[in-house]
Amino acid sequence: DDGEMVIKFSHVTNTDKHPKGIAASLFMERVNAEMNGTACVEVYPNSTLYNDDQVLEAMLQGDVQMAAPSLSKFEAFTKVYRIFDLPFMFKNMEAVEEFQQSEVGQSMKKSMTRRGLLGLGFWHNGLKQFSANKPLVLPTDAAGLKFRVQPSDVLVAQMEALDASPQPMAFSEVYGALQTGVVDGQENTWSNVYGQKFFEVQDGTTETNHGLLDYMVVTSVDWWDGLDAGVRDQLSTIMTEVTADRNAAIAEVDAQNRQAVLDAGGVIRELNAEQRQAWVDVMKPVWAQFEGDVGADNIAAAQEINAKH
Amino acid sequence: MTHHQDNLPKTPLARFFDGLEENVISLILGAMTLITFVNVVMRYVYNTSLIWGLEVVLILFAWLVLLGISYGFKKTSHLGVDAVTNMLPTRGKRIAALLSAAACIIYASLLLKGAWDYWAPFAALQPTDGRWFPMGFTEGVRDRAFYTTDQVPMLGIFRWLEDAINYGEAYDKLPRVIPYFILPFGCALILLRVVQATLRIIAGTQDSLIVSHEAEEEVERVAHGAYEE
Amino acid sequence: MEVVILFSFVIGLLLIGVPIAVSLGLSSMIFLLAFSDTSLASVAQSLYQAMAGHYTLLAIPFFILASSFMSTGGVATRIVRFSIACVGHFHGGLAIAGVFACMIFAALSGSSPATVVAIGSIVIAAMTKVGYTKDFAAGVICNAGTLGILIPPSIVMVVYASATDVSVGRMFLAGVIPGLLAGTMLMIAIYVIARVKNLPKGDWAGWGEIWASFKDAFWGLMLIVIIMVGIYGIPGITGAIFTPTEAAAVASVYAFLVASFVYRDMGPLAASAENGGVTKSLARHPQALVTALFHKDTRRTLFDAGKLTIMLMFIIANALILKHVLTDEQIPQQIANAMLSAGFGKIMFLVMVNVILLIGGQFMEPSGLIVIVAPLVFPIAIELGVDPIHLGIIMVVNMEIGMITPPVGLNLFVTSGVAGMPMMAVVRAALPFLAILFVFLILITYVPIISTFLPTTLMGPEIITN
Ligand code: NA
Ligand code: NA
Repeated sequence: DDGEMVIKFSHVTNTDKHPKGIAASLFMERVNAEMNGTACVEVYPNSTLYNDDQVLEAMLQGDVQMAAPSLSKFEAFTKVYRIFDLPFMFKNMEAVEEFQQSEVGQSMKKSMTRRGLLGLGFWHNGLKQFSANKPLVLPTDAAGLKFRVQPSDVLVAQMEALDASPQPMAFSEVYGALQTGVVDGQENTWSNVYGQKFFEVQDGTTETNHGLLDYMVVTSVDWWDGLDAGVRDQLSTIMTEVTADRNAAIAEVDAQNRQAVLDAGGVIRELNAEQRQAWVDVMKPVWAQFEGDVGADNIAAAQEINAKH
Repeated sequence: MTHHQDNLPKTPLARFFDGLEENVISLILGAMTLITFVNVVMRYVYNTSLIWGLEVVLILFAWLVLLGISYGFKKTSHLGVDAVTNMLPTRGKRIAALLSAAACIIYASLLLKGAWDYWAPFAALQPTDGRWFPMGFTEGVRDRAFYTTDQVPMLGIFRWLEDAINYGEAYDKLPRVIPYFILPFGCALILLRVVQATLRIIAGTQDSLIVSHEAEEEVERVAHGAYEE
Repeated sequence: MEVVILFSFVIGLLLIGVPIAVSLGLSSMIFLLAFSDTSLASVAQSLYQAMAGHYTLLAIPFFILASSFMSTGGVATRIVRFSIACVGHFHGGLAIAGVFACMIFAALSGSSPATVVAIGSIVIAAMTKVGYTKDFAAGVICNAGTLGILIPPSIVMVVYASATDVSVGRMFLAGVIPGLLAGTMLMIAIYVIARVKNLPKGDWAGWGEIWASFKDAFWGLMLIVIIMVGIYGIPGITGAIFTPTEAAAVASVYAFLVASFVYRDMGPLAASAENGGVTKSLARHPQALVTALFHKDTRRTLFDAGKLTIMLMFIIANALILKHVLTDEQIPQQIANAMLSAGFGKIMFLVMVNVILLIGGQFMEPSGLIVIVAPLVFPIAIELGVDPIHLGIIMVVNMEIGMITPPVGLNLFVTSGVAGMPMMAVVRAALPFLAILFVFLILITYVPIISTFLPTTLMGPEIITN
């Protein structure tokens, strides 16, 4: 409406099934209802406006105000975020939640302010699983296979630790490439394995829970600082509540998607403690490679939290 | 046959630039094809890949097109609709050509401003002020010189940029300022070629800014691989 | 209302002779500056990302390059010989062979005008020599050439896939049956006309000629196999080897090797005056393996393909800028809501898509038109339960018709040049066969299974994740 400040929120998923899309829609509804006359959020889903690579540039330029890219997209801004990509860094989502809420995690939201970005909240998607066109039980099963990965140094190193071959590939190509065998496997959360129907074209999905796929809602520091203090507080409060609300629901969403894969005839392989340890043994050495980037104290903090869960 | 600049007498310098632009276009497309092909072979035969291959090919793709657009204006090879202007009398044709030249100059100028404003922060320079027209340079826009590409390795010949724009911090990947440089450069070339074409229209040595649909020329063009839809 | 101003501006600029790309881009920028807060820098970003951010569109330069290497060589001549050997002995045989040859060339090339030139320049002359009227010959080839974008590979399909995020592989598969069907319909029509008018028929040259001409065309035909097996694999024997984009790059390298070293139609081993008009042998000139890379023929082909890529991508990039501006103003959503609340059904919607595309196709270049129209109609199609692959094929068939209708119809210009006839004469000549394409469009629109059968059978139902 006239006189309202427009806040453009651009993301890359659907609006009603993906955890990120649901959270963004909820944020939009609440702002538009509670701040009517002051501010209006417009959500641009499905990469219609920007994809995750372009959106941060557009934000620094002032053409979009909010976005929620996956954490590995911030590599160019600060290497600290690599901690979230390191394999087996977090025991489960409760540990992730506690780490992000801890002092260390909260200070990370401000780690990019000198580059012009401010984190408003971490949004969960879940832990990643491996899938491939042959059964994956032990890490040796993955050796020699071609895995699609996001273009991140940590994920490339992780695949190399498995003796697998990391293949960068546009997300929209992945289903076709898995189906026709151009690549052998991929890693993703249950919501993506189900949402993108990867399970249809794979031998099975192995419940490794080896990595994390989370997002951070970011905004431009310059835009944020230019807001009225009252508006800023109200937006911030709504964001905090939406974040808590949706993050609390993630376990359920994750379980639903996992069940949906089973219901649709997908194969899920669970690992026993010994098998899981074999994966940990092979992949954990990657930590050492990136310890300088993420900080030994941060890793220690994460492990301390793991011990509690 | 005044539509094609090729038919005008050429100075050695003009021939040199034609040759340079043509060779660069060939070279970029050749490199794109080879890198993609090599990556297929490496993946299929050796089960490995150049992790930066895809990103570099996409950058080359942008360079190919952004460099080539100005060449297209120079050679009057961009597609347009001439069905209406062909029905106009000579005077009307000339007015239409001048109007469309004006449109192209405005287009190229706006694009150049946009390209500069986009690129400048990556080079630790200031974008221009003003919405439609540049009204001087802004101050205090945060620079984006730190912003690197995803996977393209840093090249030694660009190390000087670390001190020049990145406060001495080392780049572990190629900074975006380099691939994006084609934007202001390519757009400046477009503006130059459009102004030159306009001058030719004013002088009467060129009829329009679009390729004409004369049947014989058309076949000649397609035989040389023009049009692909 | 602002949208109406925007589109009027685009059309106004087009009509006074502004290049298509500039008409789209300038209108978008003025619209953006006047009606929104978004910066010019975002336009520059869109322009750059049109190439660097669209992996799918990367297939375009490679398919153009493969087709250029194939056109430079004598592949077309060999295909025509093979076609005549197969079907030349029917009534209207040479015309039927022309259609057949267009279908084969269409499977090598992603383009319609390129198909007309490659096949038409040989077949039209041959037909008039044996007693066909020039009009008949031109009408046949002008229409059959449009199969270039329906039979995979197809640049228009690549653009559609990129605009809507559906899989290129699926689109290519979806084009196979419609392409064969359209070709068959044309051939049957010719056969009927030939029986009625008693048009000439050729002699049956025997299986020996079929075999000999096949052997001669073999290396060219292999390209079809490389693309199809590469993208889809052979069930039970091998998986796919590359993505459609990579397939295009591999096809280019293959076409270069065949043209330079097997057919030796170009490059250092080609026949030349100083060489007495015969090709050289690679065994005696092994250095050609290296010199061919930098030979002037190779450079020329790369340059021609590059130039063409630039012309096409300039238009597509500006269409993407327009699309970005429309999205920024949330116009696709508004249109979708308006249409859905108007209570349009599936049938009405498809009729409207056809009308919009047929009108748009009169003025716009196909790829640019698809970039703009696809995002506008795609969400509605999904809402109404139209299969995205089916929608894509409908769009492609509309574009085929746009190419043979005035004022902007590239196939018309090209045919008039190849046949040496005035444009309006070609328009009249193409008309009876255009009627067949119209019937075909109706068939494709209302019988979705023609398009969806192959991709659904081989790749499972299309997933819509948006
Ligand atoms: Na084709
Ligand atoms: Na037309």
